Amino acid sequence: MNKIRLDDYAPIVGSAEIHEIRALAECVGPVSLQHINSTATGGGVAEILSWVVALMKDLGLKVKWTVIDGPPTFFEVTKTFHNALHGARVSVTPEMFELFTEVSKQNLRKVDRRADFVIVHDPQPVGLIVARKNRRTRWIWRCHIDLSEADARVWGFLRTYVERFDAAVFHLPEYAKELLIDQFIIPPAIDPLSDKNRELNPSEIEGILNRFGIDPEKPIILQVSRFDRLKDPLGVLEAYRLVRHWHDCQLILAGGSAADDPESGRVLAEVRERAAEIPDVHILDLPPTSHVEINALQRAATVVVQKSVKEGFGLVVTEAMWKGKPVVGGAVGGIRRQIIHGSTGFLVHTVEGTAFRVRQLLSHPEMAAQMGQAAREYVRTNFLVTQYLKNWLLLLLAVRKPWKGLMHWPKRG
Amino acid sequence: MVEQFLFYSEAHIAVWAGLTASNLYSLWTGLQKVSGSAIFYHMHHSLLRRHFTTSDYMNDFARWVWTYLNQPALAEKLASVDPWEFTSVRDVREKLLAYLEPYVGEMETFMRVPERDEFQFIELRSLAFPTGLTAIDLPSFRDCLRQVGHGSLFYHLIEARLRLGRRSNDFSEWLSDCLKEDALAERINNLSPYAYNLWQLRSKIIELVEARLS
Repeated sequence: MNKIRLDDYAPIVGSAEIHEIRALAECVGPVSLQHINSTATGGGVAEILSWVVALMKDLGLKVKWTVIDGPPTFFEVTKTFHNALHGARVSVTPEMFELFTEVSKQNLRKVDRRADFVIVHDPQPVGLIVARKNRRTRWIWRCHIDLSEADARVWGFLRTYVERFDAAVFHLPEYAKELLIDQFIIPPAIDPLSDKNRELNPSEIEGILNRFGIDPEKPIILQVSRFDRLKDPLGVLEAYRLVRHWHDCQLILAGGSAADDPESGRVLAEVRERAAEIPDVHILDLPPTSHVEINALQRAATVVVQKSVKEGFGLVVTEAMWKGKPVVGGAVGGIRRQIIHGSTGFLVHTVEGTAFRVRQLLSHPEMAAQMGQAAREYVRTNFLVTQYLKNWLLLLLAVRKPWKGLMHWPKRG
Repeated sequence: MVEQFLFYSEAHIAVWAGLTASNLYSLWTGLQKVSGSAIFYHMHHSLLRRHFTTSDYMNDFARWVWTYLNQPALAEKLASVDPWEFTSVRDVREKLLAYLEPYVGEMETFMRVPERDEFQFIELRSLAFPTGLTAIDLPSFRDCLRQVGHGSLFYHLIEARLRLGRRSNDFSEWLSDCLKEDALAERINNLSPYAYNLWQLRSKIIELVEARLS
């Protein structure tokens, strides 16, 4: 568990913000809550939970984090459900639903029935709602995935559980579904003190650039992403080739290729083959623990690109914006919520558009700097852990005693 | 004895209103149906979310009409609706509808945007809570201003108009009623959040208070 304290964020968001979060926590009071998910390490949900739990404890809430158990076959089923909820065409059998129900039942003993709130993350533990025996404990389902193209059969099955919760929480309104319960919108957030985002001194950055053979004097165009067609690395290469006609610069494509995804290996091979024809391209196939390396590359970049053709929220864009970088991003998913076109970056739809905006930023460093500064401020206001925590405190209040519009605390006579 | 000024702050959480717009007509009908807190979110709260990007269209309706409906003239009109000028959400809604109506009336067919580009109506649950900071005179007022966050400035300057139901704000009301500082109150009331971001507004108010103190 991270040993982080809310006060550590005061130099970043200001002591007024920290003071207000503590005042808000006083409105919530010393409630007890249990977070339940399916893994203690690895993946974005566990990463977010590690700091949410630590910060909630620091605010005086009694917080417990529980991970469900299940045989490998259960997690194969939930992986299939996950893909189906993302719109993939997969084969789903009645036995899968039975196994899901059975393993959910086996985990019921893990539910803390005395907690004031039970917060269930993602579909894997959603079946635990059947442990609910009273209305005193409030149940919240936090969905971290995009359900906009969900397979009707799998969603139809899960929905019977979801509608027994008091509220659901989604990253973006586009992901919300027609449900009988309130659907709150809380975008994800980044931790500015983590290895991925903390300030680095120039020698750390230089050391990492040297290690990868990157010229620190030449402008850097960077995309950080898995080698996945949805992130369009080949499109980025093509845009870079167009930019090279005008600017002497270099391209870094940094990411990983998941061992369990044969497609990513093929994409990486294709990218390497295409990159061999273009000068100054660095393909970095990094292990998933390369947080400081990614941080250094983002800080060294002149322009950051995220030319996704499909994207969930795109926290990698948030990370680059937080480092004061102008981002040229595909106009999809959460990237559209982060980039205010022409103000905190540029939204693009094509290879040509990407090349045009990158050229524009390379030609006008003062504009790039101004945009990067606006991007950093936008993240500071909307997508840091402190704002995320504030949202959660307010959510607990809103679920415990719902109200409409504006409420004063303490209530005015 | 002078009445103290209690600094509050305001925190917000967004709730999906269960309504979307895919063209000008459904934006128009949606605007008539949604709750006041949805208008507040898309008009007033957007000032808070993008408070430092003063050069951009500030409200969500103008941005969507500009970006997805390709109606620049209408977008400009919607962007000109400054929530600061209104003392009720109902009036803001009526102004928006008044700008939309001629466009809706003269169209025979309405272009639909793809589902992913639809306008999502959001409602807001807002909580105002005490920050623990209090002012009793001009020097303490200035010191508190230096310490409060943007949530507090939003509550006392922007939300206040709707709560008070008149073209004023909590700071000006207190300065005028309790400290008899009418001229200072008037100057603060003339600062617009549409022209400055919240931090700039705070600096301007502190400057005005310091000028008065000196």
